[in-house]
Amino acid sequence: MAKRPIGTRVERFTDGDVAISIHNLHKSFRLPTEKAFGLKQAIFNRLRGIKGFREQKVLKGIDLEIKKGEFVGIVGRNGSGKSTLLKTLAGIYYPEKGEIIVDGNLVPFIELGVGFNPELTGRENVYLNGALLGFSNDEMDKMYDEIWDFAELKDFQDQKLKNYSSGMQVRLAFSIAIRAKGDILLLDEVLAVGDAAFQQKCNDYFESLHGNQTVILVTHSMENVRKFCDRAILIEDGQVKLDGKPDKVADAYTNLWKKK
Amino acid sequence: MKIPNVLCKKNRILLKELTKTDFKLRYQGSVLGYLWALLRPLMMFAILYIVFSKLLRWGNDIDHYPVYLLIGTTMWSFFTECTQQGIHAIVQRGDLIRKICFPKYIVVVSATFTAVINMLINLGVILIFALINGVTPSWSWLLVPFALLELYALSLGIAFLLGAINVKYRDVTSIWEVTIQALFYTVPIIYPLTMVPDIAAKILLLNPIAQAIQDVRHSLIASDTVTTIWSKVDNPFLIVIPFLIVITVLVFAAIYFRRKSKFFAEEI
Repeated sequence: MAKRPIGTRVERFTDGDVAISIHNLHKSFRLPTEKAFGLKQAIFNRLRGIKGFREQKVLKGIDLEIKKGEFVGIVGRNGSGKSTLLKTLAGIYYPEKGEIIVDGNLVPFIELGVGFNPELTGRENVYLNGALLGFSNDEMDKMYDEIWDFAELKDFQDQKLKNYSSGMQVRLAFSIAIRAKGDILLLDEVLAVGDAAFQQKCNDYFESLHGNQTVILVTHSMENVRKFCDRAILIEDGQVKLDGKPDKVADAYTNLWKKK
Repeated sequence: MKIPNVLCKKNRILLKELTKTDFKLRYQGSVLGYLWALLRPLMMFAILYIVFSKLLRWGNDIDHYPVYLLIGTTMWSFFTECTQQGIHAIVQRGDLIRKICFPKYIVVVSATFTAVINMLINLGVILIFALINGVTPSWSWLLVPFALLELYALSLGIAFLLGAINVKYRDVTSIWEVTIQALFYTVPIIYPLTMVPDIAAKILLLNPIAQAIQDVRHSLIASDTVTTIWSKVDNPFLIVIPFLIVITVLVFAAIYFRRKSKFFAEEI
């Protein structure tokens, strides 16, 4: 199989005012055609000269520069490449072509409660999830009570996670996630969790981030874009379609809908 | 090229928590819990002991044959557990790999750590058992960790290599299961090496698993009735073969894993 090209992703810590800069970023996936999983099919495909996969271009040359302290919303339709962009920024996917420079400590939340295990108790899950976010046991000990207070789930600490309702799980995950201290936060669709009262808490948290931290938020909620963001970016078909004031971008996104 | 900080604080924490979780989940919902880590190899030992030592009367020419057998079965379970857990590790932890960015080798290493913990517990059992059986402690016991480390290095290498292939080709799991079955008979676990022809014994000892097991047996029982590569093979070029195999597997696996791990997130 031909060697896959790899772009660059650099992390550094400087005093400059640019948090993330992206130049001509490309990313494509190899989607297996029919049943390319399994050794037999792989050998078979090779003998017949079939590649066994289809190249799917997802990001097609993205150029972006995000300043430190900006709260940026990324919007776009399903399959436009928002999440791929976020995951590539986070270092989960390798860039195929182009360059990403991240300046500062980047903390991604692609999903809440990563690593949560239903068979473990709430307490065990908190420590596990904390470790995945880079907290040591000592650090977790210190904020343990805060986490449970924020999640309003104190009585359930020693219950197994499988006995939590889904709303409770998300609340717990969210209240661990917001402890993470980074210079740049990447958030993928994590805003709308819990009931109205909990929503208010989340909103307060996002308000508190405003101006203090670089945040990149992927969302479908134009209300949140208008409310929290300083700047919004509309991604369509793997390219930046529009980059500017939240109101303008939110309108463009809504119009995108209406035209269809 | 920047050398990654293999044991930076963040990675150490992650390794510790994942190992803890693996270990907890392993015996989740069983009444005896962690005791099973001890009971399984002991039971396997009991069965083999009754069948081979009592019924077939093998190993009469070996001092402390029960200890000999117990060492063999524990080390073999360690090898199989390490490799089998390691192979599944990447796929099983797919949710983590797809959602956070961290060095992927941590997942494989943490999966093998459960086996390492079990091995250490069982090593204690072996020592107690050896003393009860009348083995006198000697300085050669200090050599045991080296052979165990060698076996672990081999297991880890295999786990990395097969674990990386398993992401794309799940057939590896089945192939390895069969391979392990076949390997079991090539390693002198249930039979003493004196039972096979001289030339066969020499060849079998070139397998690092057999060599390591025989070395541990020899060091612990301190008896010359245990055949080792050192006593059986005199050609120094042949003696290095098992060690060369271990190093080759480990180095090749590390390079292969490093290259492939970049694409785990999108291929799982």
